[in-house]
Amino acid sequence: MTGRRTRPRRAGARTAAWVYVALMLFFLFAPLAVVLAVSFNPTANMNLQFTAFSLRWYHQVATDPLVVAAFRRTALAAVVTAVVSAALGLTGALGAARLSQRWRTVIFTVPLVPLAFPALLFGIGLASFYHAIGAGFSIWATIAGHVILALPFVFLVFAAALERFRFSLLDAARDLGAGSFTIFRTVTLPLLRPAILGAMFLSMAISADEFVIAFFTAGSQQTLPLVLYGRINLGVNPGLNAIGSVLLLITMALAFFAARTSVLELP
Amino acid sequence: MLLAPPTIYFVLLFVVPLIVLVAYSFYTYSNFNFSAKLTLSNYMQALSNPALRAFYFRTLKIALGVSVGVVIVSYLFSHILMYVLPGARRILYFLVLVSLFGGYLVRIYAWRTMLGADGILNGLLVRLRLISHPAGFLLNSNFAIIVALLNFLIPLGVLPIFSAMQNISPKLLEAATDLGASRVRIARTIVLPLTSRGIRAAFAFCFIATMAEWVTPQLLGGPLDQFVGNQILYQFGQTLDWPLGAAIALTLIASVVVMLGIISWLLRLVTR
Repeated sequence: MTGRRTRPRRAGARTAAWVYVALMLFFLFAPLAVVLAVSFNPTANMNLQFTAFSLRWYHQVATDPLVVAAFRRTALAAVVTAVVSAALGLTGALGAARLSQRWRTVIFTVPLVPLAFPALLFGIGLASFYHAIGAGFSIWATIAGHVILALPFVFLVFAAALERFRFSLLDAARDLGAGSFTIFRTVTLPLLRPAILGAMFLSMAISADEFVIAFFTAGSQQTLPLVLYGRINLGVNPGLNAIGSVLLLITMALAFFAARTSVLELP
Repeated sequence: MLLAPPTIYFVLLFVVPLIVLVAYSFYTYSNFNFSAKLTLSNYMQALSNPALRAFYFRTLKIALGVSVGVVIVSYLFSHILMYVLPGARRILYFLVLVSLFGGYLVRIYAWRTMLGADGILNGLLVRLRLISHPAGFLLNSNFAIIVALLNFLIPLGVLPIFSAMQNISPKLLEAATDLGASRVRIARTIVLPLTSRGIRAAFAFCFIATMAEWVTPQLLGGPLDQFVGNQILYQFGQTLDWPLGAAIALTLIASVVVMLGIISWLLRLVTR
């Protein structure tokens, strides 16, 4: 036959495709761009009529003790969620890697349940659980829930990394006389470094951005998204754009690093 | 055994809380408190209350529409990335992936500032002389809710559809091309059936997320534009009737599972 891989496409089709892609990305990023842009506008209006570039709202927000406390809690939640979910996810993925094919199918289906499970139901379930066992609501109650949300992503990242992992290297290390801990520290851990970093960035992004679970379990120990929500309900306040922008830049940066280190695997 | 720690954690903080929720849905509520006297009346109320039913069908209508919309937009986008603009595939997919994890609440809030009476969209429309006065229907309306839902669900739709398309062997498409199949025919008889799973996953993600949504209607909808989720929240936050809230939530999830089964079966027929 012709031997052509694909027939040449008309230039019009490519142009139309670019227009479609550009419109979709514009739609996806427009709200984020607007919040960022308005946060630097010194006047208190919400339309994009700029008078000057100013850090007025950032200054206002940075000196607001409520916001600063919420920022600290959000950071704490993100870091603890990342460490705990990475530890649990890595042990789980290492355990699953040596199972028979049939059990692996089961193990790989389980994480998909919390992944698709509605946050509202998990949130009221957690609230009911803490109520039933008499534990109060706090940032730690929220963190315990965030670990559940991050765990499926972390597990899938590690499972993908272990697909390519050469377990024969561990056997070689053992034959050379290394103990289990030495093997883990000097072979397994360095080889999985990109996956571990990627999974931790991802969990941090999930935790920092999370709202519904925190809403039901944090009580008075509000995180940054909760402060944002509370103030949105109080009415439009331009300082909100600064809080939103900070939150946005942090989660986007974390997601960016996560995608770069491990999640993005394209041929 | 290495699987034990994550399994124990998962059971303790995911499975057990849901069991507690089921248990609470049978508790008896009176005077802003509830006790362990088991009853079915919460479920009776959840199923028979006409106001709840209205909110339920409202939510269902929007969830179906939004999910179909997300699937179509994401499918076209994935198709373009794979077959029309393969050179830009990496960077475009990367952008969508990054937007997936950024700012759930911030996005909703952004639409408030964009669609409000003194917001950017109205300002633009007035300046372009398309309308003389700022339009009030943009915010606190179904329109605002749907726009915001599409905005944060599209990346979630792209993910499964794109990865399904990526798994199709290029050799299959080359063979079809060499045998003289047209591009449309390849898209219909090879790519569509092989991406059926991805389409169904994308639909399920969006449908579940929208059926149980409450933040978007609360912040962007009017008083009559609320979802079932807001009613659940109302029971948990205002009346403190947790048993009724739990019963509404559990009937909601049960109906979502049944409907997804039916929709998934229909989608399989359509994409065959």
